[in-house]
Amino acid sequence: MSAEVPALKPTHSYAYKLRTQRIGLWLFILSDAFMFGGLLVTRFYLLGNRRPDLDQFVGLIVTSVLLISSFFMNRAEVHISQGNRRGFILSTLITMLLGLGFLAGVIGVEWRLAHFGPADGPQGAVFYMMTGMHAFHVITGVIFLAIILRNGLKGHYSAERHWAVEAAANYWHFVDVVWIFFYPALYLIGMAL
Amino acid sequence: MEPKTSPSRPDELRRGVLVFVFLAILTAIEYFIGTHELPSILLWVIALVKAGLVIWYFMHLKRAFREEGEHE
Repeated sequence: MSAEVPALKPTHSYAYKLRTQRIGLWLFILSDAFMFGGLLVTRFYLLGNRRPDLDQFVGLIVTSVLLISSFFMNRAEVHISQGNRRGFILSTLITMLLGLGFLAGVIGVEWRLAHFGPADGPQGAVFYMMTGMHAFHVITGVIFLAIILRNGLKGHYSAERHWAVEAAANYWHFVDVVWIFFYPALYLIGMAL
Repeated sequence: MEPKTSPSRPDELRRGVLVFVFLAILTAIEYFIGTHELPSILLWVIALVKAGLVIWYFMHLKRAFREEGEHE
């Protein structure tokens, strides 16, 4: 008696992998969101209706830079999905530069302008932990973008197959979403300490 | 043939511009609210709207629930 062999499912097809990779990425984003959510709760627990004494205009500038970078990241993804490699490379490069600009604004300017250090009480702990952890994610995002830029230059992506670009774009937008909540929490809500 | 629900590529680029403009306007409103000490609940509402726009239009949340595994 021979056992019936079930028909092979297309489990290793690109479409199948794309579906599972998308779910995996969203689960990762969700887990990371809990960490950032914890930092946000910490900020209101420790500072309440007060906020760190920061330059609100610098906050607006760095927020705008990150917002524009998200716009170009979206363009990069749309361009590669229509097979426009040149547009993809240009938009990815601009996104990277804006990401580095954001880092320069937060770490190079805001950290220097702040009248307090990381060890100067709750406002120092909250501000440097929130911006530091976010900046770390921006750095990893820039590295991710550098990888897809390099692979894009080598012609590894096509309109039909560009999962890495989609993943990098989603990660980058997630970092933007986190800052959408961090910006008002750090710069706008409450009275300055 | 492309599904009816999926916008064409020029439409996607135009939609990206529209979403960005909307996000920029909301950010400017946020700044105004924050610097004029208006109720902070407004800032929370705006932040939620902005996050929703990015998650829906830039991160394409709906793709995660699709049965077919294709890029748009």
